[in-house]
Amino acid sequence: MDNRPALNGQGASKKGLGISISKYISYFFLISLCLIWVIPVIFGVSTSFRSQTEVVSSGFRLFPEQWILENYVKILDNTSTAPILRWLMNSLFIATLHTFLVVVIISITGYGYSRMKFKGRDTLFFTLLGISFFPGVVNLIPSYKIIDALGWVNTSWAMIIPGLAGMGNIFLVRQFMNGIPRELDESATVDGASDFRIYASVILPLMKPILIVCGLFSFTGSWNDFLWPVIVFTDVDKMPVTAGLLLLQDIYGNYRMIGQLMGSAILAIIPTMLLFLFAQKYFVQSINLNSGIKG
Amino acid sequence: MKKKLNLAPVFFVGPHVILFAVFVLLPTIYGIYASFTKWNLMNDPVWVGLDNYKTILFDSGSTFHTQFQNGLKNTLIFVVLSVPLLIIIPLMIAVALEHKKVKMKNLIQSILYIPGLISISAAALIWLLIFNKQLGITGNIFGSQIAWPTHQPYAWLIIIVITIWGGVGGNMIIYRASISGVAPDLYESAELDGAGAIRRFTSITLPSIRFPLIYTFVMTTAGAFNVFGQPLMMTDGGPQQSTHVLMMYIRQLAFGNGESIAGMASAMAVLLGLIILVISALQYYVMNRNAA
Repeated sequence: MDNRPALNGQGASKKGLGISISKYISYFFLISLCLIWVIPVIFGVSTSFRSQTEVVSSGFRLFPEQWILENYVKILDNTSTAPILRWLMNSLFIATLHTFLVVVIISITGYGYSRMKFKGRDTLFFTLLGISFFPGVVNLIPSYKIIDALGWVNTSWAMIIPGLAGMGNIFLVRQFMNGIPRELDESATVDGASDFRIYASVILPLMKPILIVCGLFSFTGSWNDFLWPVIVFTDVDKMPVTAGLLLLQDIYGNYRMIGQLMGSAILAIIPTMLLFLFAQKYFVQSINLNSGIKG
Repeated sequence: MKKKLNLAPVFFVGPHVILFAVFVLLPTIYGIYASFTKWNLMNDPVWVGLDNYKTILFDSGSTFHTQFQNGLKNTLIFVVLSVPLLIIIPLMIAVALEHKKVKMKNLIQSILYIPGLISISAAALIWLLIFNKQLGITGNIFGSQIAWPTHQPYAWLIIIVITIWGGVGGNMIIYRASISGVAPDLYESAELDGAGAIRRFTSITLPSIRFPLIYTFVMTTAGAFNVFGQPLMMTDGGPQQSTHVLMMYIRQLAFGNGESIAGMASAMAVLLGLIILVISALQYYVMNRNAA
């Protein structure tokens, strides 16, 4: 009788100790990573508010002695060699239209592959999925040729349209849609609703989380794409900001105008940051690959 | 009524099938065809059979052969250095984040994900400043006067650092979502049986997230073979071509200054594509079998 509580107590305290040690290890690990991860961003931001003389003379400081806006004024003024405002607008147009079209296409196509019954549906879906696993390097050069034939070199369309053909988001959407109970659309069919009606008023509203996540992926993917715009754009005015930043290293004399270089980099990352903050809460719930595909 | 052909599926699936045919299928087939031709992007390709492949693989006197070998070697170095870190660090983060006593999980997750939102061209500007020997953190705090981008092994180090910094977020989110989906009673009963943290990780967490692990391993490796932006921005392939990766050569041959050698570039692309396919298939096969 006396032994039992004592044993239990010992067991519990041992376990409690283990948990708190592992808690501190976890915290130490996570917080040091967070610091390492965030310091470069802070350093970049603060440098963009520093004067050139301060950067060169004062040694390392995380925050500026004196916050100045001059770099940003100069960046926005310099429309001839480094039209960053133009680049940002180009990127914004490209990423927004691309994302909108992606969401339209994937929701419609996902509905087709998940909720409609037609002959060869799954064969078609898995054939396209299989082909899409073929590495993209191979189609890079001919894709450029197709863009050229369509007259899209140096235009935003080169970045807006080809990406719509991807299968990744459609796979995720179909997966998500398969999880929506069939009774919903069956009863709507009995009521005489057309497929388009069911898509628009039954399924689409339920798709919000996955469409937001896919939309965020598409926006950041399009905004940050690097290889393709570097190939497609030669015209400085038509470029998105990622391609433009490649030119800046030369334009700002390889770190001779550091504040302006940093300011440009910071301007280029603000939109995706804002979008992420907005879409953050949908993130963890929607990407559960475990329940999605395991079965 | 019933005999009427149902056109609705065509409206729903058709537009994407057309996009897929034009922007994925056609260029893929054309890319494979072009690898057997002499082609400068302007004129029509001229069929040369296996010539490009012979040159790339066997003609040791040709620059294409040396470029391919050097590019492949450097790409493989990048894959071997980056992939394990891009799997292990996110896994460690996800496990630490799932610790039930840890607070502010979403804030920590956001901070670690943020670099993933930054384009490589912007990230490189920031990191090059940090690694700048006169102006940056490394020079000023650690007093190191190393010219990172132009000396090995530091050139690889900064490429890997920026890759890890920007790359852990995506896999971390997948692992975290997967681990939080594991039934909590599995852990509870294991704890009652006296299983320690490491035991619980190896016999519950790892098997439960088998699929996400295989998926991220295959995708991360395939992505690493396509590396381009980090070496271009950070080191521009240097020093002495030691970080010049295959994608940089492919782009240079096809779209660089001077006459385009798109046929040769296509052959290199097909070879790289085949390597990626074979390695992905092997990874999938081995991991799927071992885990079963």
